[in-house]
Amino acid sequence: MAKTIMVVDDSSSMRQMVNFTLASAGYQVVEAADGADALVKSTVQKVDLFITDLNMPNMNGIELTRQLRAAAAYRFTPIVLLTTESQQEKKMEGKVAGVTGWIVKPFQVEQLLVVVKKVCP
Amino acid sequence: MDIAALQLKMRDAFRVEATDLLAELDSSMLELESRPQDADLLNRVFRAIHTIKGSGATAGFNEMAAFTHHVEELFDEARMGRLIITHEMIDLALQAKDLIGQLLESGNPGELESTCAQVVEALAKFLPQSLKPGSKSPSKPGSTAAQKQRHKIFFKPHAQVFFSGTDPLNLVDELCTLGDAKVTGLMDGIPSLENLNPEQCYLAWNVELASTQPIAKVKEVFLFVEDESEIKIESHNETALGETAKKDPLADFVNIAGQSLEALDGFLSQLRASKESNRDCCKNYLRILKTFQAAAHRQDQKEAAALLEEQIHLLEVAVTSGTILTEETKVQLEEGYQKLAALIQSLREQKTSGRTPETSTTLPANAASPPTADGAKNESVRVAASIRVDQDKLDRLIQSAGQLLVARNAFPILAKKLALEHGLSGMGKEVKDAGDHISRIAEDLQAAVMSIRMMPIRTVFQRFPRLVRDIGRAQSKEVELLLEGEDTELDKTVIEQIADPLVHLVRNAADHGVESPDVREQAGKPRTGKVTLKAYNQANNVVIEVVDNGRGMDPARLKQKAMEKGLITASAAEAMDDRSALELIFLPGLSTAEQVTGISGRGVGMDVVRSNIRQLHGTTKIESKLGFGSKITITLPASLMVSKGILVEAKGEEYVFPIDSVVQMVRLPSERIHCHAQSHFATFRNEVYPLLRLADHFARAGQFSETSWPAEVPLAIVQTNRGRVGVAVDRFIGQVDVIVKPMGREFAEIAAFQGTTIMGDGRVALIINPAGFI
Repeated sequence: MAKTIMVVDDSSSMRQMVNFTLASAGYQVVEAADGADALVKSTVQKVDLFITDLNMPNMNGIELTRQLRAAAAYRFTPIVLLTTESQQEKKMEGKVAGVTGWIVKPFQVEQLLVVVKKVCP
Repeated sequence: MDIAALQLKMRDAFRVEATDLLAELDSSMLELESRPQDADLLNRVFRAIHTIKGSGATAGFNEMAAFTHHVEELFDEARMGRLIITHEMIDLALQAKDLIGQLLESGNPGELESTCAQVVEALAKFLPQSLKPGSKSPSKPGSTAAQKQRHKIFFKPHAQVFFSGTDPLNLVDELCTLGDAKVTGLMDGIPSLENLNPEQCYLAWNVELASTQPIAKVKEVFLFVEDESEIKIESHNETALGETAKKDPLADFVNIAGQSLEALDGFLSQLRASKESNRDCCKNYLRILKTFQAAAHRQDQKEAAALLEEQIHLLEVAVTSGTILTEETKVQLEEGYQKLAALIQSLREQKTSGRTPETSTTLPANAASPPTADGAKNESVRVAASIRVDQDKLDRLIQSAGQLLVARNAFPILAKKLALEHGLSGMGKEVKDAGDHISRIAEDLQAAVMSIRMMPIRTVFQRFPRLVRDIGRAQSKEVELLLEGEDTELDKTVIEQIADPLVHLVRNAADHGVESPDVREQAGKPRTGKVTLKAYNQANNVVIEVVDNGRGMDPARLKQKAMEKGLITASAAEAMDDRSALELIFLPGLSTAEQVTGISGRGVGMDVVRSNIRQLHGTTKIESKLGFGSKITITLPASLMVSKGILVEAKGEEYVFPIDSVVQMVRLPSERIHCHAQSHFATFRNEVYPLLRLADHFARAGQFSETSWPAEVPLAIVQTNRGRVGVAVDRFIGQVDVIVKPMGREFAEIAAFQGTTIMGDGRVALIINPAGFI
């Protein structure tokens, strides 16, 4: 069965771009507009991988990671930060919260798929 | 789907969003100008720019993204509290915003390069030294050795690795894809069953890999886990000894520490400078401390971690209690900072002198308390929920709904046929009832579909604060813009086409209308001029007014100008009243401004404004009082699609009057029609109406070819932009539902008709534009 990936980003075009890319590789894609939205949606649907932006209104990617890790269903689910902030500081913060990895925006289509396959083969 | 097609789709998706974001930026940056310290607002602006950059680059707008990066830096600095937004910065940012828009539209971004470079240079002046362009570190060069290498890899994941969502087996599998691999599992670390925690990782692996891939590829496998896990890679080139991939954790830590200290230093000086409590600053300070501490814990820098713990505690108390930072706290913070700086300095020296302590074991990050300060910020930015629909789809829907309205007319005819021709009156009634029901649904559907096309005029109005502000600043004028009735709805097509004329009118009002503050003061008026833009509904029309309280227009001067330019003769000017003189402004080639400024008078004249509005079947009216200001009133049909009309016949032709324009229909006895000075008038219920005969009106403008009238004249009293007029027709046919079809570009100049419609039986009728047919 196709894996379900949730794309969390406040930029609708970013979500769409990731969605197109993943859908073209055969993944099921669910979109969420921010961390809060993602948390709600993740309770109604089992998600195999989260790809989340860092800087979002309502709930940012780090906090989302923290909350997901606190939920029994997602303690070990891969979470990938999708962010333009390639600074060490943010990555560290993300790691402390429990993210699996990161993709630096702008990404190439192939790059995104490589990372997705890596954490969620 | 292939990648090229994907990218095309991405670009489209991005353009749509970027347009919205740019519009939002316009208004939020203006707001920011008046409230430069508003953290939420700053965040909103930053986020919009950030999204444009990030998504734009992904969508392949590289030049645009690179340029936007510089704008983003400015607001990032401001967001971090390291600089304060000034008017000049907003000026520049708005300019940059416009450029971003141009870069998006431009097929050849290269031609904008020099303009971009100028803006970037100007932006750089506001940025701290370290961020100036050119100071970026170059990207690492990739090695491309095609030779087959043997790698000996040892991988021991962190015990808590599962909690970061990583499955270490995936990584081992990934290694195997790089070449021929021999994997050995190391199970020494597994404790006895009673001590085993199933959520911990006890395993380690040895992988012998023969691969043509460069070592960078092998390291890449561990990209996400390299900091926490123990990884050793030995590579052999048959003969030469390879490098080890073991990272130097101390070097990393010193690096991070250096960055953190730099940031802390910035905040400290801010704290020192500000008297009042600076909550945001404290929060940021705290956040950096925590990240710093996490790094210290990870690298087992106990001394640094302890120092940081103290500082965090100090600040947390201050932030959570919301009390003002006392001088004492500030001093303690500074002392802490000094101690940290000294400690890091000594570590740095240790490192360079080569006394790197052996830290091959990685520590569990257990003590690191997760940072919580930068949590979710509740922003209440109101965004209307909406779906984007392709215009074509919408038009198809509208057409179908319209056709349904016409098709339902078949029911009464069928019912009549059943009753009269087949003697089934009961059946006929049932058919009629069913038809009525469908009819009601069709009307609802029509109304709902039409409302989709309606948009609030806000979308047009929202660009004006920026326009007026720019004019004001460029001319050192004080101009205030008041917007009213932004929720007034107009058809989408009207909205799109009214924007340009309105821009011109608002520009005129602010540029030519409003005087400089000194002049205003001398005239006894407040220094700040006012431009009001107002929209409201009136019957089936929408009225837009552009009012200024500036210098007003001088009819005498307008006449003079028009004569000088040979647009009117002296005798015509003589005979002209003030009202008509004001209308002269709509003549092509007449500009009243003494000098053409950079803002108005770029060749688009008032004549274009009027003809644009006429194309929308609207009218323009001008009023002005010298010294007190001017008012231009535009009246537009709210929707270009009339749903109901009165079908009339004149000389064998069928015409439709929009139902809202017909005040009354009467059969007037011919003795009520009078002739005076070659003009005809009708008196009806003690009112006198100018009279025209529809057939002749369209045959030869204004001339009656016949002088005789039938005993009873079918007369429609129609509301026009010149007041109520009696229109004599040959016959009233009845009320009809019509879908207005625009007449095509060749006929767009004809103001007399709104369009055409196809009747139920397939014939075509012209729909009269009540605002423009006389």
